[in-house]
Amino acid sequence: MPRYYLAWAKDERIREKGANGGFVTATLVSALETGFIDAALVVEKKSVYEGIPVLTSNPEVVKECAGSLHGAPINLTKYVVDYGAKKRIGLPTKPCDARGIIEQAKRRQVNLDNIVMIGLNCGGTLHPLRMREMAADFFGFDPDAVVKEEIKEGKICLVSKEEGMGEKEKWVKIDALEQKGYGRRDACKSCVTKIPTSADLACGNWGSNDTQKTFVEVLTEKGEAILKNAIESGYVEIEEAPGEGIEKRKQIEAGMQRLAEDWKERMDEVSALSRSERLEFYVDALKNCIGCGACKEVCPVCACEAGAKCLDMNDARDSYVVSMYNMLRIFHLMDSCIGCGECEDVCPVDIPLTLIHRRFSERMQRHLGYTPGMDVKERPPLYETELRWSAEE
Amino acid sequence: MPEDKWEPKILAFCCNWCSYAGADAAGLERRQVPPTIRVIRVMCSGRIDPAFVILGLLEGADAVLVTGCHIGDCHYVNANNQTRNRYEFLKEFVDELGLEPERLWLRWISASEGLLFAEMVREVTEKIREIGPSPLRRDWKK
Ligand SMILES: Cc1cc2nc3c(=O)[nH]c(=O)nc-3n(C[C@H](O)[C@H](O)[C@H](O)COP(=O)(O)OP(=O)(O)OC[C@H]3O[C@@H](n4cnc5c(N)ncnc54)[C@H](O)[C@@H]3O)c2cc1C
Ligand code: FES
Repeated sequence: MPRYYLAWAKDERIREKGANGGFVTATLVSALETGFIDAALVVEKKSVYEGIPVLTSNPEVVKECAGSLHGAPINLTKYVVDYGAKKRIGLPTKPCDARGIIEQAKRRQVNLDNIVMIGLNCGGTLHPLRMREMAADFFGFDPDAVVKEEIKEGKICLVSKEEGMGEKEKWVKIDALEQKGYGRRDACKSCVTKIPTSADLACGNWGSNDTQKTFVEVLTEKGEAILKNAIESGYVEIEEAPGEGIEKRKQIEAGMQRLAEDWKERMDEVSALSRSERLEFYVDALKNCIGCGACKEVCPVCACEAGAKCLDMNDARDSYVVSMYNMLRIFHLMDSCIGCGECEDVCPVDIPLTLIHRRFSERMQRHLGYTPGMDVKERPPLYETELRWSAEE
Repeated sequence: MPEDKWEPKILAFCCNWCSYAGADAAGLERRQVPPTIRVIRVMCSGRIDPAFVILGLLEGADAVLVTGCHIGDCHYVNANNQTRNRYEFLKEFVDELGLEPERLWLRWISASEGLLFAEMVREVTEKIREIGPSPLRRDWKK
């Protein structure tokens, strides 16, 4: 069985509504119908700026949720943790969703046997507020009138519908946007995991020559089983992926990774600072923290509950130069941060947490030769007894 | 305290079986140990949660010493291997945060190594005198 396919939904309605042929939706629907999974976790579109996670066993709801939302930078990990204990769940996973779930599995919060991850390649998401600004400043649209968005070949398209004016469609190059500070979230701009290789399947449009065919890579036996199930129950059709498609996908991925490395350097205002200036930067940035704990709550890697050390050892009355809460969170994530940027998204005082966590975790992970979220058999190195690097010596 | 009277405050975590006994030995052998050190005894260096070290730094310690039995001599099988692992994390953390690397030390000291203990405290004290008070002290003025 080759590992690369082009696949699509047989049902025309799903094919039309889906992002690239509705393969993901059709696979989830078939898995629900045949009892392969008990529930599906999908993202429901409220507007182009809002998507909410829905856990459902109703195939009709799953069909309603077809399509990609680029303005909904949610991470699905914690929802799987909350609801996944007893149920078999299938869900679409961006690379950061898949990596978060793997990290939770390492911490025994989910049983991977119960979870099927249908991975989505991901070039990145946009922050809803930045997207509204972008619609107004760059497209000249009323942000509330935008009804559709799409990303294709390095361009973003918005469609606005105003009363009496009909539909207006406009395409803008993402690079042009990002040079001016709009565009994708910082975490996405600097993310190098564009294909979710730790999921069971990896789906996307890269490498596909048809807008209604999804390029699918089979990564695990579970992935193969759910695909087989979808074909046999008559929901999905496949053909072998052409060689040039496989090649093209690889090239695009490599290009995106180079771009991400570029962004990483460009967005790192700390690297030019001296040691003492660095401390000043961190203290200044973190002193705004009001200790709300939202960053910990959304963090897809953190598995601690109310008695977490970072909360327990923190007392605002200590009035340290930097709070214990921030120090411990940064410390504990040094080996495990996957750089998803959820913490920064929810921070009410806009602390540049993506950058801060990346500064600390990237050097540690490089030193350890460890990438979190990729292999469930690798324990977080902070928990290990032996030094990782001494074991290899 | 006036600036010229400033003396380093050094926090040392010592394990009950080796380095704490080593500190004791230094006393018994009547060795000069600078009065800059504050010792906290733990049963084993493996009990030294990195959070303790960070807390010490935030409380205004100018340096924190992590000490324990030599590798292979830990009285709880191999817990000091964990100490070594955590120290690697702390080292990167302290460096990235923008503190001088000399504010964090790891030393293995056995119960009979009183001399080594005294020398270590002297060495750390001198180094900290050179680099000055910790910028994490609450009275830190930029
Ligand atoms: C934010 C984002 C960026 C993407 N970027 C790329 C890319 O650069 N290159 C590429 O090849 N492919 C990318 N994809 C994948 C691609 O858009 C399609 O999802 C994929 O080809 C599958 O198509 P489909 O028709 O089979 O999926 P569909 O049948 O349309 O199913 C898509 C599923 O994804 C869920 N979903 C929608 N938005 C989100 C979200 N924000 N987070 C998690 N789940 C969501 C939906 O609920 C639905 O269940 C991206 C997807 C997303 C969500
Ligand atoms: S008992 Fe001394 S380090 Fe463990």
